[in-house]
Amino acid sequence: MASVELQNIEKHYAGYHALRDINLTIEDGEFAVMVGPSGCGKSTLLKTIAGLESISSGRLLIKNRDVTKEEPGDRGIAMVFQSYALYPHMTVAENMGFGLRMAKRPRAEIEAAVARAAAILRLEEQLDKRPRQLSGGQRQRVAIGRAITRSPDVFLFDEPLSNLDAALRTQMRVELSTLHARLGSTMIYVTHDQVEAMTMASRIVVLNKGRIEQVGAPLELYNNPVNLFVAGFLGAPRMNFVDGTVRTADGRGAVVECEGGMSIPFGQLEGRVQVGEHVTVGIRPEKLTLEDIRSSVTFPAEVRLVEHLGRETILYADAGSLTTSNSDSGTGAFTVQIGDVTPFRPGAPVVIGFEPRDTYLFGADGRTVSAPKPVARL
Amino acid sequence: MYPRPIPPTAPLRRGVYIGLVSLVLLLWLLPLFTVMVTSLRSFEEVMAGNYWGWPKSFNLIENYTAVFTQTAMARYFVNSLVITLPSVVGVLVLSTLTGYVLSRHRFPGANLVFALFVGGNFLPAQIMMIPVRDLMVALGLYDTYAALIVFHVAFQTGFATLFMRNFIAALPDELFQAARSEGASPGQTLVHVVLPLVRPALAALAILTFTFVWNDYFWAIVLTQSDAVKPVTAGLSNLRGEYVSAWNLVSAATVIVAVPPVLMFFLMQRHFIAGLTVGAVKG
Repeated sequence: MASVELQNIEKHYAGYHALRDINLTIEDGEFAVMVGPSGCGKSTLLKTIAGLESISSGRLLIKNRDVTKEEPGDRGIAMVFQSYALYPHMTVAENMGFGLRMAKRPRAEIEAAVARAAAILRLEEQLDKRPRQLSGGQRQRVAIGRAITRSPDVFLFDEPLSNLDAALRTQMRVELSTLHARLGSTMIYVTHDQVEAMTMASRIVVLNKGRIEQVGAPLELYNNPVNLFVAGFLGAPRMNFVDGTVRTADGRGAVVECEGGMSIPFGQLEGRVQVGEHVTVGIRPEKLTLEDIRSSVTFPAEVRLVEHLGRETILYADAGSLTTSNSDSGTGAFTVQIGDVTPFRPGAPVVIGFEPRDTYLFGADGRTVSAPKPVARL
Repeated sequence: MYPRPIPPTAPLRRGVYIGLVSLVLLLWLLPLFTVMVTSLRSFEEVMAGNYWGWPKSFNLIENYTAVFTQTAMARYFVNSLVITLPSVVGVLVLSTLTGYVLSRHRFPGANLVFALFVGGNFLPAQIMMIPVRDLMVALGLYDTYAALIVFHVAFQTGFATLFMRNFIAALPDELFQAARSEGASPGQTLVHVVLPLVRPALAALAILTFTFVWNDYFWAIVLTQSDAVKPVTAGLSNLRGEYVSAWNLVSAATVIVAVPPVLMFFLMQRHFIAGLTVGAVKG
């Protein structure tokens, strides 16, 4: 039962508060993905779990054992680095058996462990080669194999796929998920790539500025972000955010008016808002419609740019004074994602529409106040 | 093949450049060449004053065997080896240890220790001459092999530490983190990860230290007296007679003395492997 428990973990570098009151329990066999922008502390957090960085205060338990003060080698972890960190002077087999050799295990045991890992990762042919003779994907597999041979309780991955090209990344993503299913070990995975987070995680931990913003299943986080940050971070293309002001509010619902006079009614709210409060309305690009008369709220816009991706089309459109504050284009244009090709060209006038029940409402402090949306049960 | 300081498209400038380089090279090599030629001349010829002309007879075998049969050079040669080899080993071992600790482990006072190692290099030998001699006398090491070995190890380790520290610091951080997370102790990391990767640095350092210790004359005459421990450099000056010097033999001995550092270079050359860490990190 290799659970990982982080209790009130704080980390200070010289004058820099890298981790703030981290409380998190990762259950046995879970595939937890830590995600966040650069400098959010996700790699630092992983290194504190590994024991490569010390903790300023707080406790770390692995397998219900307090390992806060233990050396990395004694924690039952194995780490896979972004840069692979293979020993260049050793063969693949020597690299993979290094940990067991250092632990002075019998040769037969080391060979068996290496052979097993090589079989899992299809590296049998490469065992006598040196890292420099391998491709990037093979090197990454050796690094993973090195972790497997030690049969750790917890695997730690520090952005392991970010040095690979896109095609290989997709392939390795599938391989890692398969590996997790096969080994059933607890895995903690750090990435800045939200596609990796969404596809691989059994639970996502969103970090920002050294703090945990939200923890939950991928679809739960996608559909019900607790605040503006998580809403804006997960999802590609990003959610459209529009500033607005609360016009009327009663105990349950509210009406928000945006620039350009567009009002959006919210029937049921989870949190409270005050009349006159400056709020943010969010709507995902795939929830916006183009020229659909059935939409309950519509506004006119002008197409700025169209990106044809084949199966889907992403369209950036300006709506006069009604601008978004968080769009991918960075120009205030709305991002619309439709699962089809469109005949629209830049400069064409369009009508964009949406349903109020698909929108999110965030209070002045950034917390989500709109009611949670139903999430498909998996 | 090699970058050219003057492009081939400027033939005149190139011609002047090559001419100047050749001239400097000639000036440089002339003394060396003269010593080599002198080592082949007969004693009579040198006495007759033929220093620069074509030798009248080539006495290669006579002169070079005479160095070993008629002088104490063989003894000095052995002495030099006995002094130099342990010094080189001592410097390599100590500087690898200090360089590893100073580059990869943080402890209070680390910078001070490092500053001392580096700062020690700036002390002129002349200032230390009398104290070091007195120290060796007091330790009972004066006029022994140990005096020179201890001194050279102590004095060379300063620079060698700087050298090794910088080399080890340039190795990828992740290798050390990987070794640590795999349960390797600092000692195991040093033996299994650091040593194989700093081989080129150790080879270069071995050549430098060997040449320096082998060629040292100053400390040889300060710390030794008797022929039984005197290294070749001090021994060479013994070959000069009070009234007459057999310059042909002195030259032959000089050539012999110059051989080991060159041998050392070729011996170590195979360890100079560029890009030893290729494949360690990234693709």
